[in-house]
Amino acid sequence: MNIIELQSITKTYDTNGLTVPAVRGVDLVVEKGEFSALAGPSGSGKTTLLNLIGGLDNPSGGTVSVGGENITGYSPRQLSDLRLRKIGFIFQAYNLIPVLSAIENVEYILLLQGMEKTERRRRSAAMLAEVGLEGLTDRRPHQLSGGQQQRVAVARAIVSEPDIVLADEPTANLDQKTGAALLDLMHELNRTKGITFLFSTHDGMVMERAERLISLRDGVVEHDRVKRRAKPRSAKRKR
Amino acid sequence: MQTIFAMGWRNIWRHRRRSLVVISSIALGIFAMILSMGIMNGMNNQAIENTIRTALGHIAIHRKGFHEDMKIAHNFKSTDRIMRSIAADRRIAAAAPRVKLPGMVRSSETSQGVLIVGIDPEKEMKISNLYQYTSKENGSRFLASPDENAALISQQTADRLKLVVGDKLVLMLQDRNNEIVGVGMTVAGTFQTPVESFDKLVVFTGIGKLQEITGLGENISEISIAITDPAAITDIKRRLIGAIGDDSLEVLTWMDMAPYLVSAVKFFDTIMYITFVIIFLVVVFSVANTLVMAIMERFHEIGVMKSIGTRPSWIATMIVFEAVNLGLVGLVAGVAAGTLSVAALSIGGINLGLFMESLRAWGTGSVIFPVIKGMDIVVAALIVLATTVLAAVYPAVKAARIKPLEALHFV
Ligand SMILES: Nc1ncnc2c1ncn2[C@@H]1O[C@H](COP(=O)(O)OP(=O)(O)OP(=O)(O)O)[C@@H](O)[C@H]1O
Ligand SMILES: [Mg+2]
Repeated sequence: MNIIELQSITKTYDTNGLTVPAVRGVDLVVEKGEFSALAGPSGSGKTTLLNLIGGLDNPSGGTVSVGGENITGYSPRQLSDLRLRKIGFIFQAYNLIPVLSAIENVEYILLLQGMEKTERRRRSAAMLAEVGLEGLTDRRPHQLSGGQQQRVAVARAIVSEPDIVLADEPTANLDQKTGAALLDLMHELNRTKGITFLFSTHDGMVMERAERLISLRDGVVEHDRVKRRAKPRSAKRKR
Repeated sequence: MQTIFAMGWRNIWRHRRRSLVVISSIALGIFAMILSMGIMNGMNNQAIENTIRTALGHIAIHRKGFHEDMKIAHNFKSTDRIMRSIAADRRIAAAAPRVKLPGMVRSSETSQGVLIVGIDPEKEMKISNLYQYTSKENGSRFLASPDENAALISQQTADRLKLVVGDKLVLMLQDRNNEIVGVGMTVAGTFQTPVESFDKLVVFTGIGKLQEITGLGENISEISIAITDPAAITDIKRRLIGAIGDDSLEVLTWMDMAPYLVSAVKFFDTIMYITFVIIFLVVVFSVANTLVMAIMERFHEIGVMKSIGTRPSWIATMIVFEAVNLGLVGLVAGVAAGTLSVAALSIGGINLGLFMESLRAWGTGSVIFPVIKGMDIVVAALIVLATTVLAAVYPAVKAARIKPLEALHFV
């Protein structure tokens, strides 16, 4: 099943009368269960592409389908609901809602989806346990390290079992080791739960670990390479 | 919903000081409002009550024309039917006859134009506070009988005419035949009411004595009536008119007799409402300003909330809820402070002796007992809440319209 289908996507930004072509005709299909990365130099259009897939931005041309739904022309409210139902987001940093505790941040998604309270709690607690944060569920984001915050973000992104998790440079603010552990976690979730991940990254480690590497340059796909399934490091390490 | 409220609540306390400033400005506004309302109510009530309990009574029955011109021909004879009509209404506490005639009071020193009021001392005690206002010191006393050849004068008049209790004075007035008559009397007592104009103007004597001097016989100027339920006053009046059924008579309430008092109360109310509007404007702007600032600070996080699927209406609700929280906390504090101070002050009253003279002119007395009605507080509370919600509308709409992408860029 195709989770994502992009057809001749273009995106140009207008800033002060200057038109910047950020994406210049991208066709892309992402299938269920992929663990893929968008790579490419700065300004090549990685973030723009993720935003278009996530319905955070509208393409200048072409069509975007997410989970079999053509989202071109959706209203802000429809896009909001689409993100809630089908997409999990992980950003580079400052991902969490500061006034909510770790578990409340995770619960928040389920709350928006209208899930009943005890079930919500139960699932969120289980999810946090899965990302290795059992003892820290009641901490607020500012009481957590960057790596722990990103783990909460991962838990939040997948707790509702979305079709796809979009992660824009999730490891960029983390040190090597923390980044690697986070990547292990996501890869494990990908394998055990079949959750589809699409990253954007500069991080060599992410590119190495990704099972498919889509390289962008100047707003077009330069290479698209499916590698063998890499063995996640976490399999060897004790969690 | 619970979470959205929890978020709103916690967001308030992220900027403790700023929120406290807003909350205290709301609290202070409400406090000031309740206190000034209490004092104003107290003053108005006292002014009305004092005027009723001295000059006017709640309701008076006159011959038509008497209220405009107190000439002797405008007096009338009370009938059984009138007395039965009065007795029939259980909301009427008491009634007393009076004779009122313009005249002069003279001492050996000087003289002064006055309104001479003849009263039945025993009945008068039930409808006015004249008895309470009469000094019981230095030999001063209330009138003993309707026929007593004695007068009550105000302390002010006594001072002007250089009279003390036991002195002689002369009352000069026109009798039935328009002849000027003068009658010597003893000063039985002096009084002082909170209503300055009343003290300046009025001299009391026995009603029987006055009827005898002027040849009025059994005629009287008015029947003054005290009622138990002030709210029912117009109804009582209407019923009395019907029951008496005499076209030559008129039944007037204190509001008919003293329209200036009614409009003065209205005037003070208006001033108060203007003050409230100003207070509310302050509340609106401080709340709106705080919320706009809060939204600017949380731009990024609102972007995160939206990008993970929070609907715009949720964001708006959260912001409105923050405003409601600010408003509620301020409200509770302000209402508590306001009602407690009104309650505390109403025990001993506020002594405004310093402003005694001007207050006497307004007839309130020098000690104000603040009064606040539960309904007023409820109305004030609702208005404040409505205003804070109103103040939140613009920031809430603004927050709801934040574009997630722009906000995500903003760190
Ligand atoms: N909001 C915007 N307004 C104008 N131009 C923009 C906007 N967002 C992105 N661009 C431009 O579009 C192009 C692609 O930007 P994009 O952020 O997608 O690159 P990227 O691959 O994510 O880069 P990086 O690796 O630095 O994050 C760049 O030239 C950028 O300047
Ligand atoms: Mg980027």
